[in-house]
Amino acid sequence: MVKEIEKAGFPIVQMCNLIPVAKTVGSNRIVPTISIPYPLGDPGTPKEEQWKLRYHRTKVALESLATDIKEQTVFKV
Amino acid sequence: MRLEIGNFYVREIVFGDTLKFEQGILTINKEAALDFIREDERITEAELYIAKPGDDIRMCPVKEAVEPRVRPDGRSAFPGYVGELEQAGEGMTYALKGCSVLVVGRHWGGFQDGIVDMSGEGQKYTLFGELQNVVLVADTNEEFEKREQQKKNDALRRAGHRLAEFIAGCVKDLEPEEVENFDLEPIIKRAAEIEKLPSVVYVMQPQTQMEEMGYNTLAYGWDMNHMVPTYMHPNEVLDGAIISGSFMPVSSKWSTYDYQNCPNLKALYQEHGKSINFLGVIMSNLNVALEQKERAAIYVAQLAKSLGADGAIVAEEGYGNPDADFIGCYVALEDAGVKTVGVTNECTGRDGQSQPLVTLDEKCDAIVSCGNVSELIELPPMKVVLGELEALGRDGFSGGWADDEILGPSVRPDGSIIMENNSMFCGDRVCGWSTKTMKEF
Amino acid sequence: MKKAILYINQFFGQIGGEDKADFEPEIREGQVGPGIEFAKSLNAELTHTIICGDNFMGSNTEEAVKIILEMLEGKEMDLFIAGPAFQAGRYGVACGTICKAVKEKFGVPVVTSMNVENPGVEMFKKDMYILQGGNIASRMRKDVKAMVSLCNKILNEEEIGWAEKEGYFGRGVRKQIWLEEGTPASVRMVDMLLKKLNGESFETELPIPKLDRVPIADAIKDLKSARIALVTTGGIVPVDNPDRIQSASATRWGRYDIGVIEALKSGEYKTIHAGFDPAAADADPNVITPVDALQVLQKEGVYGSLHPFFYSTVGTGTTQAEAERMAREIVPYLKEDKVDGVIMVST
Repeated sequence: MVKEIEKAGFPIVQMCNLIPVAKTVGSNRIVPTISIPYPLGDPGTPKEEQWKLRYHRTKVALESLATDIKEQTVFKV
Repeated sequence: MRLEIGNFYVREIVFGDTLKFEQGILTINKEAALDFIREDERITEAELYIAKPGDDIRMCPVKEAVEPRVRPDGRSAFPGYVGELEQAGEGMTYALKGCSVLVVGRHWGGFQDGIVDMSGEGQKYTLFGELQNVVLVADTNEEFEKREQQKKNDALRRAGHRLAEFIAGCVKDLEPEEVENFDLEPIIKRAAEIEKLPSVVYVMQPQTQMEEMGYNTLAYGWDMNHMVPTYMHPNEVLDGAIISGSFMPVSSKWSTYDYQNCPNLKALYQEHGKSINFLGVIMSNLNVALEQKERAAIYVAQLAKSLGADGAIVAEEGYGNPDADFIGCYVALEDAGVKTVGVTNECTGRDGQSQPLVTLDEKCDAIVSCGNVSELIELPPMKVVLGELEALGRDGFSGGWADDEILGPSVRPDGSIIMENNSMFCGDRVCGWSTKTMKEF
Repeated sequence: MKKAILYINQFFGQIGGEDKADFEPEIREGQVGPGIEFAKSLNAELTHTIICGDNFMGSNTEEAVKIILEMLEGKEMDLFIAGPAFQAGRYGVACGTICKAVKEKFGVPVVTSMNVENPGVEMFKKDMYILQGGNIASRMRKDVKAMVSLCNKILNEEEIGWAEKEGYFGRGVRKQIWLEEGTPASVRMVDMLLKKLNGESFETELPIPKLDRVPIADAIKDLKSARIALVTTGGIVPVDNPDRIQSASATRWGRYDIGVIEALKSGEYKTIHAGFDPAAADADPNVITPVDALQVLQKEGVYGSLHPFFYSTVGTGTTQAEAERMAREIVPYLKEDKVDGVIMVST
């Protein structure tokens, strides 16, 4: 899906936990999340911490879309 | 560690007055067995059937398969699960061979449950189509998960293991027809001629991806989601220490029967002292978070290196994101200089054109492939259905559906079915039985 | 008897060599050149032969295809054969081009043959049976024999085996088969391991395919005015799953209004993805689709505006072909609303 949307000309960032999968699939912009069932907020942590994490990583994802890259890039969070 | 398995070959199963084994005939007193099962108050409804190869029988939803076993010294056949926690893998265990206890839901199934056919075109898709089966069809009062797609199936799975031990009780005082020896010396105390051979570990990745307890594969009753990879003696695996879980598309599943008889382990045992020095099992698991997957791979590679392995086998119980555990572990081993072979199934889609594993790496140059989970299978009706066939379409089976614009419903009014291989009970047999492979067309 | 039609180039059609490569398509009754060899053992009557110059096909492809399709209109045909093309590049591409067009237009099976070095192989092997042929025309008899063998299986409606067995180039379709000799995985595994340990050659059952890449789309120039859309394969849907998206092997997707929603509420949205424990996402759907964070980040001016719908499907078991189709169906909505960039959350 990512590739097809990118082919249409949209910069797209994939937020996911399984970086090796995203790399194999061929996503160009990748922002790591913390797990498969809860990518953006660990239910074992306080609500406030979950929010901070989600806010931060979503912001990194947005900024990655405005970042020029030359090759497949995993953005640091 | 030395394990002896005393085998009693079952040629036929019948119901009768007393539970006994005579000249290959296993007789079960149905009422006594059912009374024993009903000791668990969660069981609300239970019935026993016999299903043998050639019978016009379809079972659905099949939840578990267990080989009947008993220990003559009184230890439990499944320590830490349905019996006291004791060391497994040592001493004598009696087994009823060529037969299994199958557990089938009376009504309700789910993602992790599947189909077994005893004859016709569907028979070849599962190992259990070739066995003499005692079939427990039961329902429980586990209301909380009745309508859930993911089921722990706790009462039913325990009932299956208890029944397997109960039935095998009839050979406790008999002489086995044959005794198999599984004797693997301590790793650092082996004969020089064995040490000269290339040393090999078997890395197992059982399904352990549920964070809520009760679904995952167990080691001596311990949820394997809660462990990092460790060394296990292969005898422990063959002797009831590992209990199959209840979370995965079921063609990928390794049932408890598969652990008890694991052909991959036996094949390595057979080569021990001839062509390899078999070091034993690195028991790993499957995880949900990348960090957990990477940590497990680090542990496996370290253990393999520290044990001095020249070669390794990695086998995964699952597909999809578990492929990342599988490939990650394979690559970690290769990077550690361990020559590795992988065993897995693939998900190439109904059209066969999808990427076979979700993660790939060029270092994985030796893989044994056991099937395509999403292969479409169409089967005619069977005269007898044990369980409730509607479950295949209704209950969120991994390979069934209520309706589809092109294919129609999985379960048709005449009892014929169309499904993905995903829901063939333990169909892909990555544990070593598989006579399937994958080819490019 | 079933009927077949053959396509060959000007050289094998005995029109001439390079000087006649502009030869316009012609259809003749009966067999010409290699057609005679085919006719000896083909389980069908080879009723017509089409001859076309390689350069004519190469330089006027559209016209050539159109002329040939018109010639075939109304002809009885159970099979279409082209070549064999050996290592001749233009001829190979011509065979692939016309086979593909005939298959699409008339729905009949098509068979051709090329050498592995022929560029037509890479271009067309996914679309049809291309037999692995020789590199020079002196291999004609052998290549025709191999083609006839496959053609006859198709004509007799026999099951076609896998690529290696039948001698055609793999079409990128991997399917399970039962091994005739019944060798279990445990034995294959030990065999492969011993070979690998001893440095002998071995054959993997899962050759690692080359990875497919897409060019990197240009970055957004000004994030502060950019319009952002949210897509997920994590199966977040309104609790009644109005689009009946499947929980595995999905073929459907949905778009759900988030124009005025500050956050996705538990009880209103849930995940239907069957591949993981749904508890966390059901309790707080924002952990998969971070609508709450996106709304706040927009108010803070980090980016311009949020596309007022999010898009959802389920990733597990879904074929690449289906995923690509769903993406292609979603793209027009993004274009229509002048979206500048997309966030995809995968589980």
